[in-house]
This record gives sequence, structure tokens and C-alpha cells, in this order.
Amino acid sequence: MAAIVLENLSKTYRVKVRGEGLKNAIKSLVRPDYREVEAVRNISFSVNEGEMLAFIGPNGAGKSTTIKMLTGILHPTGGSMNVLGYNPVKDRRRLSYNIGAVFGQKSQLSFHLPPVDSFRLLSSVYEIEKSAYESRLKRLADLLELNEFLDTPVRKLSLGQRVRCEFAASLLHAPKILFLDEPTIGLDVVVKHRIRDLIIKLNKEENTTVFLTSHDAGDVENLCRRAIVIDHGTVALDMPVKKLKYDYLNKKVVSLKLNESAGIPEPPGVELIKKTPYAVKFSVDTRIAPISKILAMLDAGNIADITIEEPPMEDIIEAIYMGKREGG
Amino acid sequence: MFTEVKTHLKLILKYFTFNLSALTEYRTSFLVQVFGMALNNASFAFFWWVLFDRLGTGIGGYGFTDVMFLWAVASTGFGLSHVFFANANRISGMIITGELDTYLLQPKNPLINSISARMSVTAWGDVIYGIVLMALIKASGMMWVMFGISIFTAALLITSIAVAGHSLTFYFGNMEAVGRTLWEFTITFSIYPETIFKGPVKALIMTAVPIGFITHVPLRLVRNFSWGTLLLLFGVTLAYALFAFILYMKGLRKYESGNLIVTRM
Repeated sequence: MAAIVLENLSKTYRVKVRGEGLKNAIKSLVRPDYREVEAVRNISFSVNEGEMLAFIGPNGAGKSTTIKMLTGILHPTGGSMNVLGYNPVKDRRRLSYNIGAVFGQKSQLSFHLPPVDSFRLLSSVYEIEKSAYESRLKRLADLLELNEFLDTPVRKLSLGQRVRCEFAASLLHAPKILFLDEPTIGLDVVVKHRIRDLIIKLNKEENTTVFLTSHDAGDVENLCRRAIVIDHGTVALDMPVKKLKYDYLNKKVVSLKLNESAGIPEPPGVELIKKTPYAVKFSVDTRIAPISKILAMLDAGNIADITIEEPPMEDIIEAIYMGKREGG
Repeated sequence: MFTEVKTHLKLILKYFTFNLSALTEYRTSFLVQVFGMALNNASFAFFWWVLFDRLGTGIGGYGFTDVMFLWAVASTGFGLSHVFFANANRISGMIITGELDTYLLQPKNPLINSISARMSVTAWGDVIYGIVLMALIKASGMMWVMFGISIFTAALLITSIAVAGHSLTFYFGNMEAVGRTLWEFTITFSIYPETIFKGPVKALIMTAVPIGFITHVPLRLVRNFSWGTLLLLFGVTLAYALFAFILYMKGLRKYESGNLIVTRM
């Protein structure tokens, strides 16, 4: 069954335009000019119950605007949407009992108080019964390992600890859909993994639908089976992550620091990005040249340091657009 | 409707206890700020006392006790507004930065939810100061009764005026300065004798921005009580609160959110 359905959804902002300088500033005061900006243009898709969807695209593509419309924060200019049987515009409050959201840039926790106080407050905002709240909190605290710092004021927590608490805050009322907007931004690998584990667990055990935007290729790869790419407010691609990965995530970037100046072998699939006497950076197309094979070809004795990275999500997205453009 | 009101009253009370415990996190700062504000207000009372002492007569038919009654109601009413709804004065900021998002995600009315979420520390000083002032001027029984009633209507009116002013941000873009000016205007006008305001100013503070109902009408009731005036006070307070509420809720449709990084302080 579909948990989220969007049909021709659009959102247009009216932006004041104004020329440079005082003269134009005064002119715009008296007679302002407006320009219409289409943040989201006629997008349609649906997400099934229990599905984990990656909703990706470059900055300003319309991702956050779409999430904000689906959660009832923004009113769309056109089209229709249905989230768990509710219209987010008309039934915002009833819908909000059933959805949770973590916005990497916004906090639900009170800065000066321990997270447990904010949790208790949220339990009354969501009208959760005391016993249900206590068992839920215990479960989330165990899963996210919060017990150590539940009583520490939020201002004294590290970013990783704070984000784990943000997740707990959004999950207290056991939402059926979890909207995540850049949830792992700025986090270290350990915390990222813990959060991914939690999301997978919730999806498995509670059939939670997950709607995720992230610039982290790892998030997309590890969590989602389907990805929708949005650009300039329209759906550019809608495909299984496996295919996305096959088509676009097949590049690794290898950086080497060398003891002595030397070249590197360049079999098919390897492309040199940058070379200085004691450092080399190259990309490997793993479809053509498996990474293990390339590493075996290097002179291990001459390597002072090595890093292997996945290309940033931006590059992948760029590759998607390039591909689309080239493809017609 | 009734359960709605009950749910939200409960929410306001929850925020109250929650915020109070947040303030006591910084105990010394809390006490210093509270007494600092009370002392700050007391200096004004001193100036009025000197003024009346030198003049030897009333000002526009107002005696020292009358002016102090205005001060007491304004101070405690303002204090209560900022103890319960400190965020009312930050509505413009919340609209512009997108801070409202957090409240719109929650299953409560966004206006009530957002304005009750913060408590001002110094406002406690204002609340206490008004009460102390009433005791100092040896207020009559009638004054105490009217004080007890009008601090609540005053708090509601002050909050509603802030909500109405800041809601304009939904319609016309950043109106933070307008909201703030309106707020200062409200305080200033409510602590001076009614009789010094004439013509259009008087019309304004009795209608569109009903500042006159914060302290002046209560004082009229002290001097010359009538049930009709009391009902008018209640009626205007409720009507204006409703007006501010509707203005805000209608404006919310135009809300555009924002992406500033926001922490709840």
C-alpha cells in the first residue's frame, strides 16, 4: 500500500527582485517587483509502506521544499498529495502524530536542559501515555546508546550525541513515516553507522517508511533500495539504488603518498587526476578494473600513505546529469 | 472546541514547568536578573515619587497612587505575558529563520505551541515588582481586586498586540522592527496617565491597538466601578486575542520556511 502519493505537486515562491544601489532600493520600496521561483514543478511519485527511499539532488533542487510540503509545514501552490491517507495541508495535526522528522539543521531539543527533559516535554506534546513513553524511551536509549548522557545538558553534548538524541526525540511517538533531511551531516563514521543501524532496525521491526535526503553516498547505498533524483524541481531519475550504483557509484578515488617519486601503472579503467613528485591521485572504474587488482599492481614498499574514497554524492549526481544530457 | 482549549492549556502549563526548570539551571544568573529587573523598575517609581512631591498636585487628575497602580498592572501583566509567552515577541524572527518548522511538525496549534515554548527570566522580576509596588502604596481592597483581574487581561492584551504586530511578517516580509516598536509603544503608553493622550492617539489606543485597556480601563474601574465597563474589558480582551489569533493563522498559509541552522534556546 502506498504511504505517500504526490500528484503534480508544485510550489512557487514569490521573490522580491531589486537592482543594485540606493535608487533601486527606494524604487523597490515604493513599487516592488516580484519574480516567481518554481522550487518544485509538477512532481509525481509514490512511496510504498515500509519502503526506504533516497530523495537526492543538488543543493536548491527542491528536496527540502518537497519534504516540508509532505510534512504540512509548507502549503503547495498546485497539485495534490496524500500521506498515510491524510492531506498534509488540511490534516496537519492528525498527520503529525504519525510522522517524525529529523532535519540536520534544526533541533527539537532544549539547549540548556538534559535531553530527557525535552523527551518528557515531547511526550506531552504528542500525548504519549506514561508507560508507553517509558518503554519507548528505554528501547531508543538502548538502541542509540544514550543512557550515559541522558541527564547531561544538551549544550555539553558532542554533535554525535546530540544527533542521536534528535533521532530519539523524533521517534518517541513511534511514527509510521520518518522524514530525514541530511541527518548525518557532519557526523563521524561511528555515529553514522549507529544511526544507519537504527534506521534499518526500525524499518525491519516496525515497518517504518523512510524518506531520506542525503549528500552521503554511504547513507543512500546502505539504507535505500530506491532512489529518486530531483533537479530544478523536477524528477530527473527514479530507479533502484542497485542500478544507480552500477551506473554511477562505480568509481573509487585513490590518493597515494610516496616515499620516492614514481609513476603508477595505468591499465584501462584507471584515470590520473593529479600528480606531484610524491603524491598521486587517480580514479578507478571498478566495473573495468577491480580495486584489489589495482592495489596489487602498486609497489607497496614505496607507499607512505593511502586513502581510498568514494566520489562525493555531488559528483555522482553530476555524472547523472551529464549522462542524461549526453543520452539526449 | 472545549477539549482543544483544555489540551492547549495543559500544554502551556507543561511548558511553564519545563521552562522554569531550565531557568533554575543557572540559579545565580536567574536571581541576579530577577532582582536586577525589579530594581530597574523601582528607579522609575522613585522618579515619579520625586515628581509628585515637587509638584504637590496631581497630573491630569492622577495622583501618585494612581500612576503607581498603572505601573503595577503594566509590570505584572507584562511580566506574566513574558513568563508564559516570551516567544510572542520573537514571532518575526521565527518566521524568517524557519524556526517555526519545528512547531509545525508537532500536533499542536503552532501559535500556542511556539509562543509558550520560551520563558523570559527577567519577566519574573516584573511580576514580583508589580506586586511589591501594590503593597508599598498600601493599595485599597478595590485596587487589589482590580489588580487581580487586570493583570490577566493585561497579559493577554500585551501578548495579543505582539502576536498581531509580528504576524504582519507573514504578509509583508520582515516586520520585526514594527513588532518591536509596537511593543515599546505598548509599554510606554500603558504607564502614563490616560488623560495626557488626546484625539487620534487616544482613538488608536482604544481601538486598533487597544493599549488603553491594559491599565487605563482597570484604573477607571477602581475609581468608578461598573459591571458594563468590566464586561467591556473582558470583551475587548477576548476579541483582540481572537483577532491576533486569526491574523496569525491566516498568515501561516503564506509561511515560506527557511534553512537557517536553528537551536532551541
